[in-house]
Amino acid sequence: MSGVGAQAEKVEAGKVSAAESARDVADRLKLAEARGLNATLYWSEAMLAAEARRVDALRASGVALPLAGVPIALKDNIVTTDAPTTCGSRILEGYRSPYDATVVSRLRAAGALIAAKTNLDEFAMGSSTEHSAYGRVLHPLDPERVPGGSSGGSAALVGAGVVAAALGSETGGSVRQPASFCGIVGVKPTYGRVSRFGLVAFGSSLDCVSVFGRTVDDAARVLAVIAGQDARDATTVAQLPLELQPVPGSLTGLRIGMPKEYFPADLDAGVRAGVDRAAAALRALGAELVPVSLPHTAYAVPTYYVLAPAEAASNLARFDGARYGVRRVGPAGDLPSLYRATRGAGFGPEVRRRILVGTYVLSAGYYDAYYAKAQQVRNLIAADFSTAFGAGGVDLLLTPTTPTPAFRAGEKTSDPVSMYLADIFVSAVSLAGLPALSLPSGRSDGLPVGVQLVAPAFGEARMLAVAAALEAAMDATGEVR
Amino acid sequence: MSIGRDEVLHVARLAELDVPAQDVEGLVGQIGRIVDYVAQLNQVPAGEQAAKFEAGPPVVALREDVPGAVPLARGPESFAPEFRDGFFLVPRLGSMEAE
Amino acid sequence: MTTWETVIGLEVHVQQGTRTKMFCGCLSSFGDPPNTNICPTCLGLPGALPVPNAEAIRLAVRGALALGATVHPVSVFARKNYFYPDLPKGYQISQFDRPLATGGSVQFESPARGTVVCSITRLHVEEDAGKSLHDRYPGRTAVDLNRAGTPLAEIVSGPDLRSPAEARAYLVALKQILVYAGVSDCSMEKGTLRVDANLSIRPAGQSALGTKTEIKNMNSFANVERALTAERERQVALLESGGRVEQVTLLFNAATGVVRPTRSKEESHDYRYFPDPDLPPLVLDAAFIDAQRKALPELPDARRARFAEAYGVSAYHAQELTNDRRVADYFEAAVKAGAEPKSVVGWVLGEVMAGYNASGQFKWTPARLAELIAASKDGRVSHQAAKQIFDYVLQAEPGEYTVTGIAAKLGLVQVQDTGALEGWVDEVLSAFPGEVARFRGGEAKLIGFFVGQVMKKSGGKADPKGVTPILQKKLRS
Repeated sequence: MSGVGAQAEKVEAGKVSAAESARDVADRLKLAEARGLNATLYWSEAMLAAEARRVDALRASGVALPLAGVPIALKDNIVTTDAPTTCGSRILEGYRSPYDATVVSRLRAAGALIAAKTNLDEFAMGSSTEHSAYGRVLHPLDPERVPGGSSGGSAALVGAGVVAAALGSETGGSVRQPASFCGIVGVKPTYGRVSRFGLVAFGSSLDCVSVFGRTVDDAARVLAVIAGQDARDATTVAQLPLELQPVPGSLTGLRIGMPKEYFPADLDAGVRAGVDRAAAALRALGAELVPVSLPHTAYAVPTYYVLAPAEAASNLARFDGARYGVRRVGPAGDLPSLYRATRGAGFGPEVRRRILVGTYVLSAGYYDAYYAKAQQVRNLIAADFSTAFGAGGVDLLLTPTTPTPAFRAGEKTSDPVSMYLADIFVSAVSLAGLPALSLPSGRSDGLPVGVQLVAPAFGEARMLAVAAALEAAMDATGEVR
Repeated sequence: MSIGRDEVLHVARLAELDVPAQDVEGLVGQIGRIVDYVAQLNQVPAGEQAAKFEAGPPVVALREDVPGAVPLARGPESFAPEFRDGFFLVPRLGSMEAE
Repeated sequence: MTTWETVIGLEVHVQQGTRTKMFCGCLSSFGDPPNTNICPTCLGLPGALPVPNAEAIRLAVRGALALGATVHPVSVFARKNYFYPDLPKGYQISQFDRPLATGGSVQFESPARGTVVCSITRLHVEEDAGKSLHDRYPGRTAVDLNRAGTPLAEIVSGPDLRSPAEARAYLVALKQILVYAGVSDCSMEKGTLRVDANLSIRPAGQSALGTKTEIKNMNSFANVERALTAERERQVALLESGGRVEQVTLLFNAATGVVRPTRSKEESHDYRYFPDPDLPPLVLDAAFIDAQRKALPELPDARRARFAEAYGVSAYHAQELTNDRRVADYFEAAVKAGAEPKSVVGWVLGEVMAGYNASGQFKWTPARLAELIAASKDGRVSHQAAKQIFDYVLQAEPGEYTVTGIAAKLGLVQVQDTGALEGWVDEVLSAFPGEVARFRGGEAKLIGFFVGQVMKKSGGKADPKGVTPILQKKLRS
């Protein structure tokens, strides 16, 4: 399977047709299904064929197509008119959106083929994709393990070599973490870089459409296409187009901070080894690695688990069986019984927990102690990063992405908080709205481990360039210890 | 524990969410665990303040008053659970009756 | 026997006169088939997002300035969370602790205590909900989301009103200010103005407020007064019989004149307000606010005062002339075209208003009216004839009409030529020698008889003002 750039080039040059590209990905999707990966919730040969015809028409019009004929999978919380959008939930089973997300229109305008809607933790709430109402997704290398979450389906497809790139979404690390587990690249842009119009909202001040790629280049090319201010999303920022830089041969002059709070003494040895290998490679390229501190790191996960559920509780109020989605009515047959039965039956246990926690922290008498408090701490967390990139004088940060490699299915589902702790290294970045990526650094006992790079706001171009240089210097499939 | 059964049931009512009787006890335990976990934020002193973090632009961009709605590929009859004569239908208000 | 003081505060929602909704580009219009002005945003579809309407903000700022409120350069949109069938997102985008404006006042004449200045607590912007129809289908509520997302400005008064009649007077004054300022057409019939009222009573002299109730579902200013009257009576009866007023919401039934509590549970009014994460802060620079200040017309109170001072118009007439800004503009244009103010007042409040109320337009331009008044004053047409000429144009096809043209066409030009007048006078005096003798004998009242006869002889065309001196001269000689 070709990478994004190579595939687009072939199709633009006429060496491969969009229809051929569509047939190839259909074959790979069938194989993935046969394996029981359960990564996709919807795909069809008819839709792929229609996508190919659309690309042909675009090519005939002569417009430049940076993603010509490239199949891209979409997490199933990104709305599409041509395929259902379930958000991994029963409450939206069969729902067909009457409009397309902005990112979908931009991908299509660039010539991409929308290949499939992928499985996810319900409403993007989770870190393992075990909370999907449509069954869990298997880790592409080990079926006993989870691919991570919430964007586990997209990660698994890229990890399994079905597509070179896929869209996911991040609220608290839901692309970086599965990228690390699956041994692929996951890029979270700056909040406000990419339109959320058509991304089903979970935590509105945190949600970012994000990109998986087999390589940094794959992900970067897709990000450049979907980035840009959108008049339909008031939280996007006026910005220059994301221009990808050439991969630097040397990183001399680059200062990279390693925040001590991300390197606890009991950090998994394989994860640690992966970071060490990345640090060595960066030094060999001429970068200077310095210790820094992000003092409020320990509060990131609790802060996240106040703010994200609060926003989610409000965002999910619209799912009530009245205007769309599945409907159930309780015995009383009246409106409250419509709401309660629909939502009670339609939402899974994790979503229910988060709605209840979110409602609680906003409710009368508790707003100050929880919600307002979490906002205060969020400000402090964001300030930690500003200081590190400012007075601290570092250009990027290097950290582990996850505390461990992929865990086993069922290992963390009995205690909600233990699942939340999987996000300790990725949550703070989300709260600060910063761009970050996970890059595979190797294998630990056969399981992928990853490293995270964090950049200042709107610093994607340099972050991607450095990541590409680092990627070239490391063997992502080699054992790290 | 900082949150009890009554509070969980109250919040479930606010959120219009049915909780089957057999789930209540387990749910109260889980919510309690989460609430206790996030309560550690109170270790951060109230006086420790930083500049307000604003995700996205600092100022909302306004749109001019020109007609131009995002078009719907299909009308509401295509996705509404119950639709008649151009109206969305829901069950009668019953115990929710207000205006 | 207690004397009870009534304390009333009003929450008024006005819909700004924009073309599109508050957070999306759907048309904001009235009376279209159900669910035809909808889009992902106002339907609350998954993934949809709000983008605020600049004009809705401008008009709200203008309204705030017209009310003398302080416009805050930074305000914040907040979500008000609750469940209802016509609230598609399960929350309303409104403003909570950082509203667009605070302060201000509305001045009006109270029937009981003269000029009252009622304070305004705040003005904030928000979106409207859709419409729920509970009686259209049995066992069902029908929901139309055309109205969902239309822009509203909510204006909250202080608890400064002391009677149902004052509430009504406040509403009349508030409406006038907002209509003048071009913010909204403030029509309760079309639903562009809605009122929720809060009423409590307390023993006269007590400073602490009693428990208040909220009254909704009043569809006219008159019904606001009726509903508040009924509620006041209910509270008085309750307290005088030893009961307690409960904090409830009541609905007014216009047919029966009764207020009754809603059957909804009161416990769930925890709206869990928080700043809407989909909308960055609303920041208005000085230029934005100043532009609205400049766009304010002379407001009704100031205009009334100026009419009295500049044109000598009485307070009552000034009120009548300024009720409708277009009428006030018309009046002033006619005066500026040269007509004498007192005459213009009479014509405008009479014939012009009749035509305007019937057709919604002014078929006579102010300049032409001034011309008509001048012709009547200098006798070219009689006052009667002037009215006929006016009415002619009201009924006629649109076109270019001149006063002299129509007068001639209708044969209404008064004859003022002294030669002609003398001729008719001579004829009449010769025809009635007896009456001439009686006049010369001292019956001065007969002058009216002679004028009438000259008018008859001239077929109504003689200018009576010119006839009288000629008669006087000839009768005395």
